[in-house]
This record gives sequence, C-alpha cells and structure tokens, in this order.
Amino acid sequence: MSRIINRRNFLTVTGLGLGSVALAACGGPSTGGNVPAAMNTDWAKVTPAAKITFMSSHPGKSADIEAALIADFEAANPGIKVELITGGANYEEVAQKFQTSQAGNNVPDVVVASDVWWFRYALAETVMPLDELLAVVGDKSAGFNATLFGDYKYTDKHWAVPYARSTPLFYYNKDHFAAAGLPDRAPATWEEFALWAPKIQAANAGNKGYQHAYQYPALAGYAGWTLQNVLWGQGGGWSKEWEITANSEASIKAMTWVQESITKDKWAGVSSKDAVSDMSAGAVSATVSSTGDLVGTLEAAKTAKMNIGVGFLPGGSVSASPVCPTGGAGLVIAAKTSPERQLAAAKFVSFITNAANTARFSAATGYMPVRDDADMTAVLATTPQIQLALDQLKVTRSQDYARVFLPGADLEMANAAAKIMNEKADVATSLGELQEKLESIYTKTVQPKLKD
Amino acid sequence: MAVLEAVAADTANPVAADVRLPVPGRKTFSPRARQEALVFLTLALPNLLLIALFTYRPLLSNIYYSTLDWTLGSVDATVVGWGNYVEFFHSGDAGSVLGTTAVFTVATVGGAMVLGLLVAVALNQQIPGRTLARSAVFAPYVLSGVGVGMVWLFIFDPVYGVLSWVLRGVGLASPQWINDPALALVMVILVFVWKNLGYCAIVYLAGLQSLPHDVMEAATLDGAGPLRRFYFVVLPLLSPTTFFLLITSTLSSLQAFDIIKIMTPTGNGTGTLIFEAYLQAFGAYNRAGYSAAISVVLFVLLLIMTGLQLRFVERKVHYA
Repeated sequence: MSRIINRRNFLTVTGLGLGSVALAACGGPSTGGNVPAAMNTDWAKVTPAAKITFMSSHPGKSADIEAALIADFEAANPGIKVELITGGANYEEVAQKFQTSQAGNNVPDVVVASDVWWFRYALAETVMPLDELLAVVGDKSAGFNATLFGDYKYTDKHWAVPYARSTPLFYYNKDHFAAAGLPDRAPATWEEFALWAPKIQAANAGNKGYQHAYQYPALAGYAGWTLQNVLWGQGGGWSKEWEITANSEASIKAMTWVQESITKDKWAGVSSKDAVSDMSAGAVSATVSSTGDLVGTLEAAKTAKMNIGVGFLPGGSVSASPVCPTGGAGLVIAAKTSPERQLAAAKFVSFITNAANTARFSAATGYMPVRDDADMTAVLATTPQIQLALDQLKVTRSQDYARVFLPGADLEMANAAAKIMNEKADVATSLGELQEKLESIYTKTVQPKLKD
Repeated sequence: MAVLEAVAADTANPVAADVRLPVPGRKTFSPRARQEALVFLTLALPNLLLIALFTYRPLLSNIYYSTLDWTLGSVDATVVGWGNYVEFFHSGDAGSVLGTTAVFTVATVGGAMVLGLLVAVALNQQIPGRTLARSAVFAPYVLSGVGVGMVWLFIFDPVYGVLSWVLRGVGLASPQWINDPALALVMVILVFVWKNLGYCAIVYLAGLQSLPHDVMEAATLDGAGPLRRFYFVVLPLLSPTTFFLLITSTLSSLQAFDIIKIMTPTGNGTGTLIFEAYLQAFGAYNRAGYSAAISVVLFVLLLIMTGLQLRFVERKVHYA
C-alpha cells in the first residue's frame, strides 16, 4: 500500500517528531549553563523540619545500633522524626539510589557515603558543605579526628563527616601460626611474611580443605583499597595527588611481588567472595580485611572455636610506616532539600557522631570512633582488639587521589589486579593499561570540573 | 463516476443537492465508523497513553541523553551530539563488549533451545513421574534471577562451594570460576541456560503435542525410523515453535542482567552490552550520557536482530 505525502501528513509527522523530542528533553539536566546558584540561608530564621530520612547500607551490620541511635535522637529532639531507609547492601547500592533520586524531588536527607563517593557528590554539588551547618547546630567539629575529618576537605570546605570509618587490619589464625612454630603476632613486613608463609602452608596442608597461607581479599570488594598497603610498602602507589603513578617502577615491582606470591611461590590465593569467610572456614591462615569486620569476625570465630588474631598491616621493603590507608564511610547532607530539612539533618548528623555515640557505634561494629574525645573504656573492656585499630589510626595515610577521587577507578584497579593475579598477565603491560585508563578518567571527567 | 453524474443531473432535487461531493484525497467516515472509532479510543487511549508515558517517553529521553556529556546526579550537562557513540566505537571497550555479548547470546540461546528440545522430547514420552518432571524442569524459569545467582554462586565457590566439595572428593582442585574471566563467562552461561531451559522445554513440549498424528503415522508406514522421523518430520513441523523461541530467547539473552550482576559484580569477563550500560551509569563511572548511548546501540542491535530473523529465518518456517 502506498501513501501520498501531502502537506497534512508532513505537518502531522513533523509536529509529532518535534513534540517527541521536546517531551524527551523535559525533565533531564540543564544544557544551557543556567543552573541556579546556591542561596545563602539565614539559619537563625530556620526551624528544623519535623521529619527527615536517613539512607544507609548499615555498614558493619549496624542496622540495630542505627535504629537505637535514631530512637535516642528522637527522644532528645522531640520535634524531629528520622526515618531509616535501607539503601542497599553496600556503599555502591546506596550511591546508585542517592544519585538516581536526584532526578526527582524525594531526595534522602542524610546519606552514608563511602570514601570513593563523597567527592563525586561534592563535584556535582548534590551534597552541601557542612562547616557552617555544624557551627549552627553547635557542633565543635574540632572534636573529630583530624585525619578522618580532613579526608572530606575540598575547596576549603568539609563535605561530609566521618561515621563508619575503618582501616584494613591483618587477620590471622593463631592456631595455624602456632602449628608452624611462629610467634603470635602479625608480620612486621610482607617480606617477613613471605618467609613465614611456606612454614604455615606446610604445617597446615593436612587440614581438610586447606588452601593457602594467605588469601588476598576478593577483587570485587575494593581491591584498590586493600592493595594500597602493598604498593606503599614497596614505594609505589596509584597516584601522587593528581599524577597517576600506577605504572611507576615501584608499583610494577610491588604488583610483581603480589603476582609471584600466587603464581610462583604459591602461598597465596585470591578470594572469590569473602576472604574473612575463607579464613573462618579454615581454608586459609591469614588475610587483610576492614576493622568493620572485626566484631563480627571475632564473634564468628568464637562460635567456631577458632582463635583469630589481628595486627597492624605489614610494611614493605621501602616503607614500614605509614602504610595503612584510611577507609570506610561518612555522612553527607543532600543539597536538594529545604533549609528546614537540612538543619534537622545537621542536628541528626552531629548527634550520631558525637563522642558518646561514636563509641557506641564502634562497640557494635568495630569501626573506629571518629571523635578524639570518645570514651572507649567500656568498649575496650569487651573487645580489646579495637585498641589495635585505634593505635593503627595514628599511623594511617589518606588514600591516593586516583583511588578515591576518580569515578570508576576502583573498578579499573580491580580489573587490572584480576589480570595480574588471576590471569598471570604481564604486570607492566597491565599497569600500563591501567595508567592510560586512569589518566583518561581524570582528563575527561574530573579535571574539567575541579575548582581551585 | 456514475453516482457523481447522477447527483450532478439532479441538482434541482433539494435532497440530492444536500449531498456533498467527496473531495479527492480526503476520506469521509460514516457515523457508524466514527462511533466505532470513539469506542476504540475510549478503550485503547488509556493504555496507549500509559505506553507512551512509560515506554516511548523514556526511550526518546534516552536517545536525547545519549547526545549529552552528563554525569549522573548532576543538574547540568553538555551537548556532545554523536560524541558518545564515536567514543564507544573508537574505544577498546566496544570490541570486547560486543564480543562478550555475541558469545553469551549465541551460547545461551543455542544451549537453552537444544537442551530444551531434548528435554521436551524426553518429557513427551510416557514415563512415570512425568508431571512432576515437567514442573521441576519449568520451575527455574519462574525463580528470581537474583536468587538463582546467589545459590549458584555458593555452588561454584572454590573454597566452600558444593562443586568444590565434590571435586575435592575425587582429588581435584576447584577451578577459579569467579576470578578467571573466561570461566566466569562459562559459569554465567551455564546458569542462564539452566534457568531458561524450562521455558524452551515447555514451549517445545506444547509444539510436540500439537503435531499432526497422521503425518507421523504416514512417515512410520513409509518405513522412517525414530531418528529420520525426528529430523525430517518433527523438526520441520516444529519450525514455527523454533522461530518463536529464537526471537524471544535472543531478546531475553541480550537483556540478561540479574544473574550476571549477582555472580560477577565487576563484570570482569562477563561485560555484555547491557552490563556495560549499567556500569557506565550506575555501577562505577556515573557517565549517564555515555551509558545512554550504549543503551541505544543495544536497542538498535535488538531491532536489527529481530528484523533479520523476521526477514530471513521465517522463510524456513513450515506452518502445518
């Protein structure tokens, strides 16, 4: 059947087409550069909102303690109700929900943001700087641990406050170490552990299901973070500020050492899912994991009648300290809400991170207290191992910019690590490819948006 | 023409004079047709509006977003025209992503259809417990992909997985199913085939049960054995079913996401087009515009695949 294109049909089709394009363009981002500037708020005239929402992934199985802290906040602030929203099982799922919520008007007020997410929010200005708000609600932010609070500084403003902050710890099976005739402590350096590992492996090889002396954490679970320690120990790193150094000589040397521990010396493996679970199953003798796993791991070990020890992260041949990266999550306040809600959110954020409550949160999870004046006496009485995390905090180092500030860098690092550790790929080539990708991400997506 | 002449000749008649002459190129509708159109619009319009709002508007919006350099969550963006498409096809990612998509689609569609046909043939026999077996075969298809992924992840885990335990029992070490990219792709293909096998089997079973008995009897009388009957009679008669399954399974495989996401969160070795679109926008990079461009590529690919199947494969179909 043929159709005649007459004036009427042409106009109809053209109108529908233009209408469709116009309709499609509605509701998306602005492309005219006419984004409204942030308004200055006179906080003295603002009354806190009656209800706010708190989106969390409940890091370190913290749902119960978060609910308890909310109840205490509501009791202390009768005019404000807080709704706890489970935003997902991990930081990434929370981030997805928070970012997609920006398309609508129902944005959560307070959100858990990991070390790799807050900066993206700050660049996109979907969260607000907190210095002024904290001062308005009477929070002496000077009480925060300077390293942890300083991690959130950009353009001379703090865009988050520390909440569930962690460092990696060295976890080991005391019985396996004893069977090998080794001292009951973490190794001082990875070189020392390389000497211990064959003994550990030989002493425990007869155990049912035993695999390796050491298990590298699953690469999907923040490989860029856990490998940071090995890189620093050998004098390498992912970057020096904005200069990417993933394929520097020292970084190649460090990752070659990692590869050889798996493929040549064969005393290490890579976890498929959860290295701590692998250790709890008796399959491996040691691993590295977050302080956020501390309380849960110790409880699981107690149930399984297993003796688990923890220690500082080992140093390397070039640097013994500081080689421990900070990590974990902070709290951000959404920019796309009313001043009333932002004020209530600031009160809530200040409350659940105050000295008493950060100690309670630390006791329930193993995360570090984020205020220097937190009284940890009661906590240490029940879980003395937390003292180790506190001691290690004094020798921590903020993570390389490339890992925390470049979108997708963690995934690229995990994929490069997978090539090196699982596929036995050439280390220099794999890190060279990573270098190119990280530089491309920086040039395309971060550098143009950086402010002085 | 005769009608027009009659009307023109009878202009003195007031009734006839009231008749309007049809304008060439312009259709007229009878009151009945208008009434039917009204009923149609009343019934269909709400659904059409919903489809327009929730299917076509997002589709058009996505095409528009694909022309932007837009960071997810950001309120502003820059128009880059074809830039995202150019970047995708010039990057090293396009080859590996399209290759993985092709391998995954061919393996899962082929695997599920071939095994589904074999299972359907088995279930079409008079065997004890046939009804239970049919239910068991179909059950995985209705299970949640997330749940299926999590259970199979436990089975494949090289440290404490069931498969690892079985292999250890016979003195073998478990392969690194999750960490090795090549094995990870094999793993998700196996699970996807397992999940969708029941769908193909049940549809093939329905096709087998509707085959004309007289043709089968004629083939038997002509001396054709079971294998020859299956190859020369059953398969051609099943071609409409095969064609239907080919289209629906291909579309399903190209859009597979849940199992891949759960079993291989970083997509290392399993990065199909749809997974790459997810990673670019939500999973890691927050590049919503670039992700939208990948989605449009997937949309065009689906359109082409369906068009090719309709154009060429349908020719081979025998309708009984």
